[in-house]
Amino acid sequence: MFAKLIVSFAYFLDSSKSYKRAEDFAYDLLENPKSKIKPYFDSLIIFLVLSTVSILIYDISHRITYHFEMIENVAVSIFILEWIGRFWISDNSKARIIRYHEKMIELGLKPSAGNIMRTIFLQKLKYVFSPMSIIDLLAILPTYRPLRILRFFLIFRLLKVFRYTKSLNSFFKVLSDKKFEFNFLFFLGVFTIFISSTVMYVFEGTGNNPNINSFLDAVYWAIITITTVGYGDIVPVTLGGKAVTLVLVSGGFLILVLATSIVTNALSEKIEIVHENKILAQANKISHLIIVFGFGRMGQTLASELEKGYKKFIVVDKEEANIIKAKELGYLYMKADASQYSVIENLVFNNDVERVVITTENDALNLSILLTIKAENSNIEVIVRSNSDENVKKFKIANADYVIFPYESVAEMAVEYIGNFVNFDAIDSILLRNSSITLDEINILDTNSMIGKSISQIGMEELSIITIAVLKNGKMKNFIFNPDCENYILEVNDSLVVIGEEDNIKTIKKNITRQLA
Amino acid sequence: MIKVVLFGYSKTGRELAKLLKDDEYELIIIDENPHQVAEANSDGFFARHSTFKDDTLLFESGIGEDVEILFCVSNDDSLNLFVTLSARYIDKDLKILTLIYKKEDEKKMLLAGANRTISPYDVGAIKAFRIIDKPKVSKILNLFALQSNKLSISEITIPKDSILDGSHFNNIPIFKENNIIFLGILNKDIEGNFILFSKETDYKIDGGDTIVTLGSKTNIKKFKQEIGVK
Repeated sequence: MFAKLIVSFAYFLDSSKSYKRAEDFAYDLLENPKSKIKPYFDSLIIFLVLSTVSILIYDISHRITYHFEMIENVAVSIFILEWIGRFWISDNSKARIIRYHEKMIELGLKPSAGNIMRTIFLQKLKYVFSPMSIIDLLAILPTYRPLRILRFFLIFRLLKVFRYTKSLNSFFKVLSDKKFEFNFLFFLGVFTIFISSTVMYVFEGTGNNPNINSFLDAVYWAIITITTVGYGDIVPVTLGGKAVTLVLVSGGFLILVLATSIVTNALSEKIEIVHENKILAQANKISHLIIVFGFGRMGQTLASELEKGYKKFIVVDKEEANIIKAKELGYLYMKADASQYSVIENLVFNNDVERVVITTENDALNLSILLTIKAENSNIEVIVRSNSDENVKKFKIANADYVIFPYESVAEMAVEYIGNFVNFDAIDSILLRNSSITLDEINILDTNSMIGKSISQIGMEELSIITIAVLKNGKMKNFIFNPDCENYILEVNDSLVVIGEEDNIKTIKKNITRQLA
Repeated sequence: MIKVVLFGYSKTGRELAKLLKDDEYELIIIDENPHQVAEANSDGFFARHSTFKDDTLLFESGIGEDVEILFCVSNDDSLNLFVTLSARYIDKDLKILTLIYKKEDEKKMLLAGANRTISPYDVGAIKAFRIIDKPKVSKILNLFALQSNKLSISEITIPKDSILDGSHFNNIPIFKENNIIFLGILNKDIEGNFILFSKETDYKIDGGDTIVTLGSKTNIKKFKQEIGVK
C-alpha cells in the first residue's frame, strides 16, 4: 500500500511539468557546466565565502555589528539552500523508483516500500558523505549556536572556493593515482617518527632533558626535526639523543626528497591528462566545433585555413612532433590516440560538434574513426581523407559525407594546368588563383520581392556575377545548368550558384535582404 | 599528339595517368622503382624503368626533343628536384610540374626550374576547407561531377584568325549557342591573373588569349571546332 503510494507519487512528479522545470533550473544553477547562469551563481558563492571569512577574522578582535550578523545569516541561508539543492538533484530518485517499479512488474513481483526506501536512502547518504558535500556541510555547521566553539571551522568555507576550480580537482586526481607511493611514504614517516621519539624518550625523558616531560614532547620534537623545521625549543643533550637526531635528520631529508620527486613525477606523467581536461573544458563551451583528426601536412594546411576563416577547431594527433607544431601555432590541441573510443566520446559526442575532418595517412584508422562517429551520431558531418582509390568506395559505404582523395584532386589540378578538360571539382583550384573571385550560392526566400523577376532583372549582370546554375526550389535534383538570364523567372526557394567577385556577391545578397525590409 | 613524360608512378602519378589516358596525349611513364613499373604495366600503361640520374637517360625518353610536358611526381622529393633541374638544363621551354610534400620545398623546386609546384596535402586540405566554409556549394559541385556527361572547366587558347579573334566581351553569341558559360580570360602577361567575364567591361579578345569556359565535354569539343582550335 505504502509502496504503491510512493510509486504513484514518483509517476506524478515525472509527468509534472513544473516539477521538471524546477529540477532543470536547479541543475542549470548548480551543476550544468554549460548553463549561462551557473557562472554568476558561482561568483556569488565565492563572494559570500570571502566576505564571511573576512567578517570572522574581523570578529576576533572587534565587536561585530548587527549588519555583519545579517550578512552572515543571509550567507548561511544561501549555503543551506545550495546544499539542499545539490542534495535534491544528486540522484534522480523518481527515475530510480520508476525503473524499480517497471522491473518489478516485468518480474511479476510486488514492489516493496522497504526496498525503495533503502536504495534511495543509500544513494542520498552516499552524496552526503561525498567530499564536496562534506566541505559544504563544514561551511554551514559552525553557525549553529551550540557548535559555536567550532567557529574556526568557518575557515573551511574557503574550501568551497576550490569546488569551482577544475584544475585543483585534476591535481588531486593526479596525486590519488600515486596512492601506493604516498601510503608507503606515510608509513615510513610514521615508523621513523615513532622509533626516534621512543628512543629519544628513553634517553632523555627520565630527567636528563628538562624540556621532555612526556612522550608527547618526544613525538613533537621528532616531527619538528624530521620535517627539517627545527625550532630548537627542544634539543638533545645526551650523546644517545644526539645520535638519534643525526639518524632522524638524514631519514627526514630522504623522505622529503622522495615525496617531492613523487609529486613532480606524478605531475609530469599526468600533464597530458591535465591538459586534456583543460581542452575538454574549453571545448565544452564552444558551439559548432570542428574536430580535425591528424595534424600532418594536410591537417596543418586545413588548420591554417580554418583559422583564417575564424572557425573554432581542435586538432587531435598522437605524434609528439605534430603536437609540438600545434602547440607552437597556438591551436587547441589534444595528444590522443583516436582509435580509442573514449577519446572520440569525450571530444566528439560530449561537445557541440558540427563537423569532423579526418586527415591521417592511415586509412584503417580513418575508417575506424569514421565508423565510431557515424554509429553513434549520424548527424555529425564527416569529411574523410582516403589514401588510395580503392578505399574511396569503402568510406562512402561507411556513410562519409565527403571523401577527399588528395592524389586525384592534385592530378586533376595538374591536368588542368596543361589545358585539358578537368572535372568540375577543379573549378575551385582555378578560382583559388585569384582569391577575390569565389563560388557562392544565393537563396531566394519566399519573402523576397525577387520572385517573379528574371535573373538579369535582379542586377546580377551589372555586378558581373555569372549564374552557373539554378536549383529549382532548392532541390539538388532539379538543377538547370547555364540558365537563360533573360527568361528564367525566379521562384520561391530557388538557389542560384554563382561565380563572381566576393564583394559583388555580398552586395547582391545585401540588396536582396534590403528589399525584404 | 602532345608528348608527356610522367616521372614517378606514385599515387599522384597513377591518377594523372588515368586522367591523361584517353585524350590527345602520348604518355611516357618512367619510374626508378621496378615494382612501380610493374604496377603501371598491370594497370594497362606502358611504363619503363629508368633512374633519370644521367642526362642521356633523359634524352632517351625524348626530353630536349619533342616532349612538351614533364610531370615530376615520384615519392622522393630529392629525386624530383634532381630530375626537374636536369630537364630544365636540357630544355628551356619544357613545361615542368613538380610535386612537393613539404611547404619548404616549393621555393627550391621553382629555383630548380619547375613552372609550377603542387602538393596533394594542400589541395586536399583546401578542398576540405571549402566543404566546411560553403557546404551547399560543395554539394552542388559534387552533383555536377556525378553527371554522366561531366561538366568540366576548360582553358582554351584562341588561335589567330579565329572567329573570336578581335571580338568584344559583351557581344559573343557563340557561347550561348553552345550552352557554354564563358568565365573569363587568363592574362598571358601576368602568371595566374584571371579577368572575370563581365558585360560591363569592354575587353577585346585577341588571338593567343586563353579563355576559361564551363560546359559539358561534348559542347566544349563542338565549340572548339567552331572557333577553329585544332
